[in-house]
Amino acid sequence: MTQKKNLVLAMLALILVFMLSGCNTPAPAPTPTPEPKTVFKIGIVQLAEFPALDAATQGFQDALTEKLPDQVEFDLQNAQGEQTNATTIVNKFVNDKVSLIMANATNSVKAAREATSTIPIVGTSVTDYVKSGLVESNEAPGGNVTGASDNNPVDVQVELLAALVPDAEVVGIVFSSAEENSEIQAVEAKAALEAKGYEVKIYTVADSNEIQTVVTKACTEVDAFYEPSDNLIASNVPTMANITTAAGIPVITAESSMCEAGFLATYSISYYDLGHKAGEMAFEILVNGADPATTPIFTFDTSNLTLFINQEVADALGIVIPEGLLK
Amino acid sequence: MIISFLNALPGSVAQGLIWGILGLGVAVSYQIMDYADLTVDGSFATGGAVCAVSIAAGYSAGFSLVFAALAGMLAGFVTGTLHTRLKIPAILAGILSQLALYSINMRIMGKSNITISRTKYALLLSSANISHALVVAVAITIVLVLTLVWFFRTEIGYAVRATGNNEKMARAQGIDTDAMKRLGLIISNGLVGISGALLAQFQGNADINMGRGAIVIGLAAVVIGSRLMRHHERFVLRFSGTLLGSISYYVVLSVVIYLGLSTVDLKLFTACLVALFLARPGQKRRAA
Repeated sequence: MTQKKNLVLAMLALILVFMLSGCNTPAPAPTPTPEPKTVFKIGIVQLAEFPALDAATQGFQDALTEKLPDQVEFDLQNAQGEQTNATTIVNKFVNDKVSLIMANATNSVKAAREATSTIPIVGTSVTDYVKSGLVESNEAPGGNVTGASDNNPVDVQVELLAALVPDAEVVGIVFSSAEENSEIQAVEAKAALEAKGYEVKIYTVADSNEIQTVVTKACTEVDAFYEPSDNLIASNVPTMANITTAAGIPVITAESSMCEAGFLATYSISYYDLGHKAGEMAFEILVNGADPATTPIFTFDTSNLTLFINQEVADALGIVIPEGLLK
Repeated sequence: MIISFLNALPGSVAQGLIWGILGLGVAVSYQIMDYADLTVDGSFATGGAVCAVSIAAGYSAGFSLVFAALAGMLAGFVTGTLHTRLKIPAILAGILSQLALYSINMRIMGKSNITISRTKYALLLSSANISHALVVAVAITIVLVLTLVWFFRTEIGYAVRATGNNEKMARAQGIDTDAMKRLGLIISNGLVGISGALLAQFQGNADINMGRGAIVIGLAAVVIGSRLMRHHERFVLRFSGTLLGSISYYVVLSVVIYLGLSTVDLKLFTACLVALFLARPGQKRRAA
């Protein structure tokens, strides 16, 4: 009996070994390179899969491919929203000795920073590098991390909210309790809203299954929502928008893809441009020997913002967009 | 405040009914088969994934339910095979399937999240139209409950029940108990798949993490339901009890939120609630 059991176990182990070895494509043999061009291997770790992050990654890749045609090789990995996956991915990058890591979203930058203190890391889609403990200061990061920030002036969003929902008194903010990036944005938004005389209610959700319950309750207490670029909410916009639109509550958001997916409006930076900027920074580091420790964090200013309105949602809510806004 | 709570009530009931179908699945595995099946967290998301992918591929919302059910059944079959053929303990077999299903669900969807917008596709139900969603959910649950009741009165249904009641005795009667266990898990996870598919339509998207913690909600539905029905043996009452349990769970949840429980503490509250209800039948069984 035990022998039989051992046999089965051994077979299973064998199958597993075969499966694993099947997954790993053998490392490419060092190809004889006639021309002296160095090929930079770049590891990209993207935290989750949704339009904003996808656009940033695309922008990054395009920037580098434009500047270094045939000289960059990307290893693009998606953590599918799981911190543990991000850690596994960056450890792989470190073992592969990549020239540079591009980390898309706060938690992937964190994972990368834990994994290496020598390989340069360029971040993107991070709101506040300092508050998230990724760099010492925005002007002089001081370590191997630098990048482009998606921080967009929340005051502009507050003005947008005031223009579209003039009667609003109470504004709700819903975000994932697991995302520090969203909390930073929520705290900032709360301060900006309260400065304009709004009452602010903050709600957190732990996973996608709580969104329904929490938002339904929130809809009875607020006149409008402001949604930061929270990864969980961004992935589940229809879940929230179904309820808010049915309840007649407008949602102003921080990011254009969330607006397209079902929220009312935003003044948003372009995540493609953001990723592109990060790609340019990576170029400086790779080719011109810029040091991440002295490369300041890049932040967009207000002039880079574009107004996005989801007309379908506006019609459903019966909101007429003021002429002044549509320039 | 009471008014606003009442306004939210239909939403909670619809949500409760959809999760109640998952509860029916858990009732089959946990209550009837006496098998703590953790596949549920995975097969629930599988149901949602298959539904979203088939709707996006142009199949009707009704067909997508069938596909989701079949996918869930396949997951149940795998868990059953791991347990009965490879002799892996029940809990571990479920955990293994659940783990494997994460990758499989990613492969099915190709990404972590698929949106199925009600403006683009004809969905069976949507949280944007609660009263319609309620009608559809009630109709589907009635059909499912009646089918289950009918099944557990057939000869093979009795064999499944006998296996759950007393495996040794059932085997002595010539029942292939391993096959019955697999069948029970297939039925259970098929229901779970349907539930996941309905939730995906209800909320307008399927998410890779939508099944996280599903087993706890299912267990809550079953244990609250059996308390409400005073552990009645009749199947119609048992299954309706589970549905009622699920609805009460969501209503209680919205009550405590309205009373001001911080949403951070929701999970802790759920765990305590389930523990409370689980503890009582235990006392009773010892006394008997």
